[in-house]
This record gives sequence, C-alpha cells and structure tokens, in this order.
Amino acid sequence: MTDSPLRLLLDFDARSQRDQDQPPAFLHRRDRKFALTCAEQGQAPNARRWLEHMAHLSGPGSKAGAGQKTLRRWRRINTGFAFGGAVFGCLTMLGLLFYEGGQRINITVILAFVALQLLLALFTTAQSLVGWQPWRWLLRRLASERNSETTSRLQPMLMARAAHLGGISFAATGVLTLLLMVVVQDLAFGWSTTLDTGASGYHQLLTALAAPWAALWPELWPAAVPDLALVEATRFFRAGAGAGADTIAPDRWGHWWPFVTMLWISWVLVPRLLLFLASILLLRHKARQLLTNHPGMHALLYRMETPTLDTGNHHNDAADLPDTDTLISLQPLPDSNLLLCWAGAGDPALPQTLVGEHTQLFRAGGRASLAEDQTALADIANQLAASPEPAVVVITRSWEPPTGELEDFLASARELWPTGARVALVPLSLDSEREPEPHQLSQWLRFADRLDPGFASVSAPRLHWRDPHADLLPEPGFEPGTESRKLP
Amino acid sequence: MTAAPVFAVVGHPNKGKSSVVATLSQNDAIAIALEPGTTRQRQAYPLSVDGHTLYTLVDTPGFQRPRRVLEWLQAHSVSASDHAQTVQAFVTQHQGDGRFTDECELLAPLIDGAGIIYVVDGSVPYSAEHEAEMTILRWTGRPSLALINSIGSDDYSDTWQAALGQFFQVVRKFDAVRAPFEQHLGLLRAFGQLEPDWEAPLEQATDFLSDQRLKRRNQSAAIIARALEDLMAYQEKRTLTQNQSAGTSDDTLAEQLRQRWYRHQRQREQSLRIDIEHLYQHQRIQRQEAELEWHNEHDLFSEDSRRAWSVSKRYLATAGFGAGAVGGAGLDALTLGHSLGAGALVGGLIGAAGSYFYGDRLMLPAVHIGALQDGLQTATFGPVQDSQFGYVVLGRAVDHWWHISQRNHAGRELLDLEPADHHWLEQLDRGSRQAIQQVFDKRRKRRPLDDRQRQKFITAIEQSMAAYDHWRLNRT
Repeated sequence: MTDSPLRLLLDFDARSQRDQDQPPAFLHRRDRKFALTCAEQGQAPNARRWLEHMAHLSGPGSKAGAGQKTLRRWRRINTGFAFGGAVFGCLTMLGLLFYEGGQRINITVILAFVALQLLLALFTTAQSLVGWQPWRWLLRRLASERNSETTSRLQPMLMARAAHLGGISFAATGVLTLLLMVVVQDLAFGWSTTLDTGASGYHQLLTALAAPWAALWPELWPAAVPDLALVEATRFFRAGAGAGADTIAPDRWGHWWPFVTMLWISWVLVPRLLLFLASILLLRHKARQLLTNHPGMHALLYRMETPTLDTGNHHNDAADLPDTDTLISLQPLPDSNLLLCWAGAGDPALPQTLVGEHTQLFRAGGRASLAEDQTALADIANQLAASPEPAVVVITRSWEPPTGELEDFLASARELWPTGARVALVPLSLDSEREPEPHQLSQWLRFADRLDPGFASVSAPRLHWRDPHADLLPEPGFEPGTESRKLP
Repeated sequence: MTAAPVFAVVGHPNKGKSSVVATLSQNDAIAIALEPGTTRQRQAYPLSVDGHTLYTLVDTPGFQRPRRVLEWLQAHSVSASDHAQTVQAFVTQHQGDGRFTDECELLAPLIDGAGIIYVVDGSVPYSAEHEAEMTILRWTGRPSLALINSIGSDDYSDTWQAALGQFFQVVRKFDAVRAPFEQHLGLLRAFGQLEPDWEAPLEQATDFLSDQRLKRRNQSAAIIARALEDLMAYQEKRTLTQNQSAGTSDDTLAEQLRQRWYRHQRQREQSLRIDIEHLYQHQRIQRQEAELEWHNEHDLFSEDSRRAWSVSKRYLATAGFGAGAVGGAGLDALTLGHSLGAGALVGGLIGAAGSYFYGDRLMLPAVHIGALQDGLQTATFGPVQDSQFGYVVLGRAVDHWWHISQRNHAGRELLDLEPADHHWLEQLDRGSRQAIQQVFDKRRKRRPLDDRQRQKFITAIEQSMAAYDHWRLNRT
C-alpha cells in the first residue's frame, strides 16, 4: 500500500516551513504565477501539482526534504518493529510449546495468550485514535531535530502502524514456528483449568472461538474445530496426570494442533492484519485532513486565488542624489543702483532697505516675454557702460528654484554687459523681512557656482532695521518694579 | 482592448512630483531632494495585476525653459487645431538638444497619449511664472488634472485652486507626505474621471490596492504573533564541561546568559520591525530610536518602555480570568461535567488573582543551573516569567506597525517611535484579551500552540491593532 497522501502532507509541511522565512510578496508572486500557468493548461492547481512544480524547478538532485527524512525515519522504525516482532514471535511460540514429554501443553494458556494479543492490538488502535502517546519520550530521543506540529499530530497513527506491523510479524513467525514444531516434535496438547468447569462448557467456548473458520470453511479443515469427544478426552488434572493419560490413545493429544494453528491465525494474525490496514486507511485519512486544514494550505490557496499586485516600485535611484555641498559662500551686497526683479520677485513691494533714491528697477522672466527680457538686458547694459564698478542686483524668489531660463538670461547678460560687470543674486523669502531658509539659499549658491566664475554671487542682506538695544528692552507685558532685569 | 492609461507627473522643478509618484507607487527608493533637477530622466512606474498593467505613472523632470518653448510653439502654429502637432514637432526637433532635455523628457509621454498630472506647491504663493508651463500643457490637448501638493507649512491653496481651475479639468489637493491611504485611492479614482476609458482600470486598481491593504494588516498581525511566540518562549542555554563550570562563578555565568538573552530578544524585535517595514514596501527606513541599549529610555527592557506599554492590574485580572478558566474547564471535562463548571470558575479566579498580584512585577527570568550529568552541566536563562513583557513587546510592535502603515513612501524623515501615553489596550474586547493572555501563559511554559490557538491569537492581535488605530484616531 502506498503512503502517498502521507508523503504529500509531509513534503507540503516541510515546504511551508521553509517558506516561512520568505518575504510574503515573493511567495504571492510565485504561487499566483503557478496558478495562472495551471489555468492556461486547463488544470486545477492543487498541492500535489504545486509540489511537483517546485521540485521540478529545483531540478534533479535537490536536497531531500524534511518530509522524506521523516518518512525514512519511520521506515526504519517499522523495520525495527517488524524484525523485533519476528524474533519475539518465534521465541514466544517456542515458549508456549515448550514440552519436555511429561506434561501437556495447556490449551487454556494458549487461549489466554491469544486473548492478550488481541487486547494489545485493540489497545494500540484505540491509543492512536485517542492520541495518547506513552512512548513519546522514545521518539523524542530518536529524533535528531524537533518535529513540526503536523508530524507530531501524525505520530500516534504512525506509531500504531509500526506496532501493528510488528504484531503481524510476531503472529506470522509464531504460526510458522508452530507448524515447524508440529513437524519436528511430537506435541501433546491438553486442557486444564483450576476453575470448576465441565468439558461441555469448555467445548462451547472453543466452538465459539472456532466460529470464524468453522462458518467460512467448514469442509476445508474439519479437524480445526475440536469435537466434544476430544475435549472430554484431553482434559488433564494436576494430580492425576498419569491416570487420565493412560485411558486415551496417545495420538488424541496431538489432534489439537489444527485448532491451535487456526486459533492463532484467526485471532492473532488476522486481527493484526485488519488493524494494520485500518491504521493505514486512518493515516491516509488523517493526512488528507491535516493537509486540507494546514495553515500553509490556507495561505497557499489564498496566494493562488488572489491576483498579485505590483506597484511598480522596482526603480531605485535613492542613492543617486545630487551633490548638495556648496563650495562658494554668501557675498556682501555690491554697491549698485540697478535692480532687476526676476520672474515677479519683489511683488507686491520690495523691502525698503533694497530700494534707494537712485535705484533703477527692471523686470524680466516670469510673465515677461523673451523680447522684454532682451530690452531689459540692453537697458541695463547702457546703464552699466557708464559705471566704474558695474554691478547689478538680481532679486529672485528664494523658494522658486533657479531654472534654465534665468541661466539663459544671465548667459546673454554676460555677453552683452561690459566686461567686469558683476551680478549679485538676492533671493527673497516669502516673508521679505526674514532671511531665506538655508536649503533655499544653498540652491542659489550652487546655481551661481555653475555660472561663469567671478560673474555671479549670492547675497542675503539684512532686510529690516533692527534696534541694537532691543535685547535690553523689557519684553511685552513686563511691568516695571515686579522683577529686576539683568543686563548682559 | 484599450491600452492601460499612462499619467505623466509634470510641473515646475522642485514641487514634489517625485514625492507624488513615490507615494502612489509605494516606492521609497525614488530619489527625493530639496534640490531642483533631482529627476533627470523620465521614469515609468506601472501598477500591474498578475503582470497586466492597469495604469502607469511617469515621473518627469521639471520645466526649465517654458517661455522659450512656448515662443517656439507659437511661432510654428497657425491655428488651435495644430497645437498638439506643433508640440510633437518641437520634441522631434529638439531631441538631443541639451537645452531642452528636460522639456523633451517631460513632453514625450504626453505626445504618446499620457494624461497630465500637473503638480504645484500649495505652501508658496501662486506665481504667474507657471502660466507658460500650463499653456504648453494645454497645447498638448491631453486630459489633465492639477495637484496642489504642500511641501511647507503655509497654505496658499485657494489662490492656486482659482488659477489652476482655468487650465485644468480637475484640481485636487494632495499632500504626498501626509495624505492618508484613503486619499491615495480617491486620487486614483480622480485620474479615472479624466477619460471614460480610464475609469474601469483605475476602479479596478483601487479595489486591488484596498484588498492589499487589508491583507497587509492581517499579515502584520501574523508576523507580530510569531515574534511574540518566539520572544515569550526564548531560553538562553549553555552547556559547560566540568572544568568550565569549575572555572566560572555562578554570578558570571548568570550575567553572561542574561546579556545574551537580552541581546537575542532585542534582535528578534528588530527583525520583526524590518519584516513589517518590508511588508509595507518600506525598505529604507531610518529609526530615531537609537541602537537598543539597556540604559536607553526607549529600550525594550527599559523602565520607560515598561511604563508606557504595560497593562494595568485590572486589565490583567480580566485577561487572566479567561486564561485560568480554560485550565479549570479541563477539570470539568475530566469529571464529565459533574463539577457543574466549578472548575472553570475556580480556575478563572485563580488565574485572575495570579495575574492581579504578580502581573505587574518585573519578573525577569531566573538562571537555572542544572546538575552535573555525564561531565556536563547545562545552565539556562529564560523564558521570561512576566506576561507584562509580552504586553510591552505587543505595544511596541503595534505602535511601530501603525507608524509604518500610515507612512507614505514619499516620507524621508526619520521614523520617530515615541511611547504612547495611554493604556490603549483597555479598549480591547475581553475575548481578545483572554486569547492573548492564554498564549503568553502557554509560551512562558514553552508549550507549543496548535493551529486553532494560533489563529485565535492572530485575530486577537488584529483586534489590538484596530483598537490602537481607533485610539490614535480619537486621541486628538
């Protein structure tokens, strides 16, 4: 009988254990792709196909999974049980049939032993069904690594299967030993009991026990069902062993062996075989059940059914940031009365500190057309021509980044304006009274650095008048006389 | 079948175009800097489902010479009907011209049929300088939407709204760094309104994104549950030979084990955080919370963390009642119900009392040094004997998850994890409290969980996340 559902479960369990360390996004993509491939081929995706697919992708020679390792361990345990059962079966039967010639082999003892065997077999199955594992410590010792939860839950079933296999082996070697003994030895069976029972009662018990083979094959082996005469004839007593023995023919003692053989086969071997088959079926059922309820299976089904969502986040240029180190620093504002407002800077009003009596204002960029820019350039050039130290103050908005348009404008200015003319860029902040933020200033510094060296610089003049004694003045709300104020 | 819509994110330099793309494509690896010209080439970010693209966002450089471009266009156009063709001609003619690289990169996707998403900074005043750009965009004849993104703290969005309304079909406010997830979806739906053909794919995309978000919450709960299971049951073990054990004093050994145990627990918490961040596609988060140290006020084992995240005695008693009742119910089962549920009641009371009296004491694990056996001696430290430790880990994990799940991918500031100032877990339902306490108790004894218990635990953690979310929302 194949153990494929078991193997499927163990392989699946091992695979999902390994998958636990994988990122969920990867697992989703992988399994969804498998499901889509299956759909293309007109197949329903299931655990078996999925495992085959994974194994196929890993290629030949991929490492044996933990599932296979568990199976191999149980195969070894099974072999051990089978071997042990065989040895014990042989020895037990030799013990039961121990006959030195003076004493009968008591059928009652054999009956009791068979009953014990049957009880043990039933107990093994019951134990596996309940899940009680008194031998767990042994397995823990044998196991090299910790079992997964799934393997632990299968353990009682696997153990029952191994125990029944051992039982089959025990029963089979037992019956073979019996037949061998019958051939090579002259065995004398009889029955005896301390209890006050008659031969008819004993016969009734034996008939009941022989019912399975008497009913199924009455003609096959009539000798295997002892008759009342044999039962009456072969009773022996502890005191009168010799007396009873003399009254019947010696060959009658041997007539019991077909019964003993059939008793052993029917009540030891066959139950073990049936329970072994049952344990295999139960194991398969349990394996199927565990596979269906496996948390990894729920997750796998979800991954196969749910489309993968890719947000297009593969592009990575986070390290590719521009160099924001500034090599040049702020320069003092040159003495110039030429003020150019770029792209609406200075609207609605320029700070008073920038505008003097002789200041000439020009506007370019922004809403102005390129032609108006050219006019402003030419006008400024005319003004600069007469100046001994030609310089122009260009007012910009600190929060708007310098663009190519300003760069073009200044490049034209460089050509048009007299040699030695200098440009001071003055970025104004939103609140024209305050200085711009450092990061806003630095973009203008870098811009000036990119232009021809010595031509442009950046200035951030103090734009509002500040009372030098402000620190000494009381704070708003200060009441004289309530607190003495320290002078710095 | 119609092709998936493409949206080119365009605008003046340094107005947060890349931030908008980073947030909508959930990519924290897009270069964002307060420096014009950070984006030099256009870059496409497709959103696809099972490899089938639903829409594509294209990040572009900003306009550098819009007036010159407009002048060229006006000089080459005869009537309004040839505007789009003229723009195309401009791009064709200026490919490879260094002066117009940015404009060509920006206009190329529009010529290919992309929709326009024009981004402006609403925290600075409206500037007429932008009119040339907007006119060029209008010339392309493509469906268009304007986004008012606020980079600074001031708000000039009203004036922007009025100006943009003259040029664009739809005007929306969207803060790329702070907008909550629902706004992302709303924005995507707005993209769909630009053209009838685009509505279906965008609607589909928003559905998928919502599902993904729900699933991520559940996955986060499972990741946190796993970490809690590990952290509660972790034991540091060391086997010594006879010579080694003779040469090491018990105190030294205890100290070594303790330090290793602490280190392991901190590392496990760290790996939990990284897992959550990766789940939300945050690969590059920097933390303000300094490298974990015992004396650090935000350390996993610091008194500060304990105060911030531990639960009250009353909470422990209600959680402990359920946890104890389960053990007592086993007694009822054994007596086949003859105890009439007294087992559950007594067990519950014992559990509650135990949690009440011992729950808020810092009971760190003790060192256990085993007897000498076969020349070897095993010393162990842990697992933690204090379920408050579990609540500290849970609180910190849920807090971190919340910050990550709310964080937009355009956000580049440090992740500042400040401890909460309220016992938010008090809002958790009793069933969830008990499920969490049961797992803590079980793992403290290093007993494994079965699938059903684990599932219950994950659900309870999800409930805690919802409680935290609720508390955060109603805090201010």
